[in-house]
Amino acid sequence: MNLMNCLILAFILFGIGVWGLIRRRHLVGMLISIELMLNAANINFISFAYFTAHDSTAGAIFSIFVFAVTACEMAIALAIIVNMYRRHHSLDVDQLRELHD
Amino acid sequence: MNYIVPDILLLIFPFIVIGSRLFCSTKSNIPWRIANVGCIAIFILLNFIPLANGNGVFFLSNWRVDDFGILMREVLMVSAILGIWLSKDYFEHSADGRPQLHQIAEFIGAIAFATFGGVVVVSACDLVTFFLGLEIATIPMYALTAWNKKDLIGSEAATKYILMGSVATAFELFGFSYLYGFAGSLHFTDIQSAVAAGPSPLLWIAVLFLFCGIGFKLTLFPFYTWAPDVYEGAPTPVTAVLSVSSKATAIAFLVVLVFGPLAPIQEQIAPLIALLAGTTLFVGNLGALKQSRLRRFMAYSSIAQAGYIMIALLGPATIAETAIIYYLFVYAVSNYLAFFVFAIIGHHREEIFASLKGLSKQNPSIAIALAISMFSLAGIPPLAGFFGKFHLFFSGASTGHYAIVAFAVLNNVIALYYYIQLIKSAWVDEPDGHLTPIRLTRRQRSVVILLSIAVVVLGFLPFLSNNIFSGFTF
Repeated sequence: MNLMNCLILAFILFGIGVWGLIRRRHLVGMLISIELMLNAANINFISFAYFTAHDSTAGAIFSIFVFAVTACEMAIALAIIVNMYRRHHSLDVDQLRELHD
Repeated sequence: MNYIVPDILLLIFPFIVIGSRLFCSTKSNIPWRIANVGCIAIFILLNFIPLANGNGVFFLSNWRVDDFGILMREVLMVSAILGIWLSKDYFEHSADGRPQLHQIAEFIGAIAFATFGGVVVVSACDLVTFFLGLEIATIPMYALTAWNKKDLIGSEAATKYILMGSVATAFELFGFSYLYGFAGSLHFTDIQSAVAAGPSPLLWIAVLFLFCGIGFKLTLFPFYTWAPDVYEGAPTPVTAVLSVSSKATAIAFLVVLVFGPLAPIQEQIAPLIALLAGTTLFVGNLGALKQSRLRRFMAYSSIAQAGYIMIALLGPATIAETAIIYYLFVYAVSNYLAFFVFAIIGHHREEIFASLKGLSKQNPSIAIALAISMFSLAGIPPLAGFFGKFHLFFSGASTGHYAIVAFAVLNNVIALYYYIQLIKSAWVDEPDGHLTPIRLTRRQRSVVILLSIAVVVLGFLPFLSNNIFSGFTF
């Protein structure tokens, strides 16, 4: 277990998140993909804090702040998606066709 | 200690406005009055802080109040005040074929939180504060976009915005984590000394991720596609706040980053900035050419403006910061003038180009205001927009990036074409008998007159750009 392994794990998780975001057509699936990307960044922070940083508490604290902010963001996102479902009766992103050039 | 008073007031302010709802009826005007008094008081307080205090005043080692910060606070407050004034009518009746808005107190509270987020971004001295500021500025914007719960396209726009915004946050966080790994600390001074000691591949990856993330929020070239949809779907006052406050926050983020921690490698990332600026303004200008709906047109116009502002980042710190602040003032005033005119039209007609026909015959005053704001956004000499653009280009040219400046000036010709298209439909096209006549309320008339005067005066007094409000500090 060294720094490189952790960074590669985080990068793979981030990649899975991006891939899921592109492939998924369901809004909740896309939100989960975004959550994966955010947590990949958390793994980065914690592994840097553990292995290299001079200021190792800062990285750990940052990841806790990220949790809090992500929770706020997801709360708003779910509220918007519930509202979206009430209007469109579907959670498929391909239905979002009202606004275009 | 006095320097932090406006920030604390701004933090308390939304709670007071939302709390005041508990003590009065739903139809009451009291929250709106409190909001006006509070916003204007904070703006006046900010003008009392003397400028030119060197490195700025520090609080708790990670909250810094410096000249750039104070002037950015003023831009954000101007934007919040005008946004609140613009939104008032939307809570009284429906407009542009969409239902009426409700809960004005919470709406104003959300705008104030977003403004506070911008304040946090310009005062941050470490990555945690910086990240929190950006999120505080963005999250209320998602809610504001979705404010109209009954509106079909509003909820669609909000969904698109929050998906794109969260992805941008993820990219930014990834960039921050690599920056932390590279420097070993979250504080800007430590990061700056680590960057000065010599870049490594990790730093370049971090910079790339950060520019991707902020590219979403600033609507830079490959990441701008959400902007037209969101600008069209959001309620008109939210579109106005989004195009000024959100953009000002994002550009402040870049200024803090490029002239703070990344200052030692500014020369190396200049090609990246120039590329982003050039492609963004070109794409924005091309996109605006074929629009027929007003809000969508303003979205492309503001994408192009983001490209122009990016050019200033190529220059040395002081010139660039001055140019960006001055341009943001001018941009805020001109953009809000345009949005006020569109809102007045939108209250009686659909918000499309065809609704402007014969405006100069029916309502010459609105037609003049529209012409002033469009000429200012296009950058025609006697008006403020020209001097703003001049300073931006001067900043870019002062470090020898002539190619991108020349490209931007040529692009301005395209921009002039589409802004004049809008003026043509207001001044040349014959009036259409089917259009409902337009009446102005007293508030609308006074704000339009005030903003028109501001656009003209900011242009005739370009010396203000050196130190915008120093004459008023005493």
